Amino acid sequence: MNQVLAIALNTFKETIRDRVLAVIVVFALVMIAGGLWLGSISLGEQGRMMKDFGLVAVTFFGLIVAVFIAASLVHKEVEKRTVFVLFSKPVSRASFITGKFLGLCGTMAVVLAGMGVFLFLLVWAVAGDATGMLLVAVLMIFVQLLAIMAVTIFFSTLGSAILASVLGICVFVAGQLSHNVLSLTRLGDNPVTKALSWVVYVVIPNLSSVDVKAGVVGESTLSWGEIGVWSLYLLAYVVVVLALATLVFRRKEF
Amino acid sequence: MTDPGSALRVSDLHKTVHVGFRRQKVVILKGVDLEVRPNDVFGLLGPNGAGKTTTVKVCLGLMRPSAGAVELGVPGVSHVGYLPENPYFYDYLSGREFLGFCGRLFGLDPHLRRERVEALLRDVGLERAADMHLRKYSKGMLQRVGIAQALINDPELVLLDEPMTGLDPVGRVEVKRIIQELHERGKTVLFNSHILSDVAELCTRIAIMRDGRVVWTGAVDEALAEAPSLEDFFMRVVTT
Repeated sequence: MNQVLAIALNTFKETIRDRVLAVIVVFALVMIAGGLWLGSISLGEQGRMMKDFGLVAVTFFGLIVAVFIAASLVHKEVEKRTVFVLFSKPVSRASFITGKFLGLCGTMAVVLAGMGVFLFLLVWAVAGDATGMLLVAVLMIFVQLLAIMAVTIFFSTLGSAILASVLGICVFVAGQLSHNVLSLTRLGDNPVTKALSWVVYVVIPNLSSVDVKAGVVGESTLSWGEIGVWSLYLLAYVVVVLALATLVFRRKEF
Repeated sequence: MTDPGSALRVSDLHKTVHVGFRRQKVVILKGVDLEVRPNDVFGLLGPNGAGKTTTVKVCLGLMRPSAGAVELGVPGVSHVGYLPENPYFYDYLSGREFLGFCGRLFGLDPHLRRERVEALLRDVGLERAADMHLRKYSKGMLQRVGIAQALINDPELVLLDEPMTGLDPVGRVEVKRIIQELHERGKTVLFNSHILSDVAELCTRIAIMRDGRVVWTGAVDEALAEAPSLEDFFMRVVTT
């Protein structure tokens, strides 16, 4: 456990001190503030536009941080040969993968909390209708990105960092459409198509299951119970993917 | 820990790797036999590509042996210190943070960890640069912080891969002093080096590797009895 925490803390320092992250966050804040302009040209829907646009910006920049940093975390250690320092000490491959993931979770939590609070204050100051649901939506974006970070780390143990980033983005897009794949299993009689659809539905994380953006703008959304259950599902998905990443990484020699 | 008489025993070690797109087979180690006794300062010598670094990596579990065995005379890697060749460390950390991180990996309690970090920074002469980020360290300073991290757990067995590389004369004297102190404290040290004068000065025993095998092993005095200098002896062994 000591080793996991040490690696997590080190990864947090590595990522939070990365200047690229600072640049991404500045861009994100500018983009969120850009919602002010969109709000000003929409008739009577200023608050809704700001929230919609702001949450999209939080998701987009959160995704960039998640895939690009997660993809390079393991590779950097191998390429710069810092793995020699780590694995010559009593550090298991599982501790390494878990520590790296938790460290990145810490960074992602700080980044999303910063963007979420900024968006909340902006909506509260300009439109005056900021609600707690806005912060819940940001929390659910965090839960979605946990799954993407885990998947990207898994891909980075198999191939290059660029490939892992691309695949991470693909899984994010596919995860938003996961419920459509489920609908395919109910259409037609072809058992092969049905089976394939089920496989895709199980392998790709169902990210839309915790999407509560509609609730932020007053539309019907998931109940608290559904949010809890689907969040647990995504956390279990993360555990399974990290276990697979550890299995792959265990085979590597340095 | 299997043999109480050895700090490290390597028996008939083979290592083959497959490289490139066509998975071409490259045999690196062809049956290495090696025994390092407790409290030895052991020099592992050989030309580039002889298999010294691979042998050390297999001993540490960084690589898996294709055949053969490695027996550590200490209870696990938590009692081993290691300095890699041409070390690169986390450049966003300061020297003090990096050593603290290494201490955490060994599960040292915070009080002991702080004590060890400060003592090692003093020992390797990095007290004044302790809070400077490693990206600003010179090559010699990195080598010294590398030696410090190898000693953070007060190891019984210390494996140093080219510890003198990149050091100026003052740095070399300091590293030699550290190795001598480790020997005086009853520790076992194995190091690779191409600087044979340092090896002659520091080592009690040496092994010479060539083409993936140990071709000569014995005491430094035995080698010096057969040739005017260790350099001459080394050249004779690796070229015949």
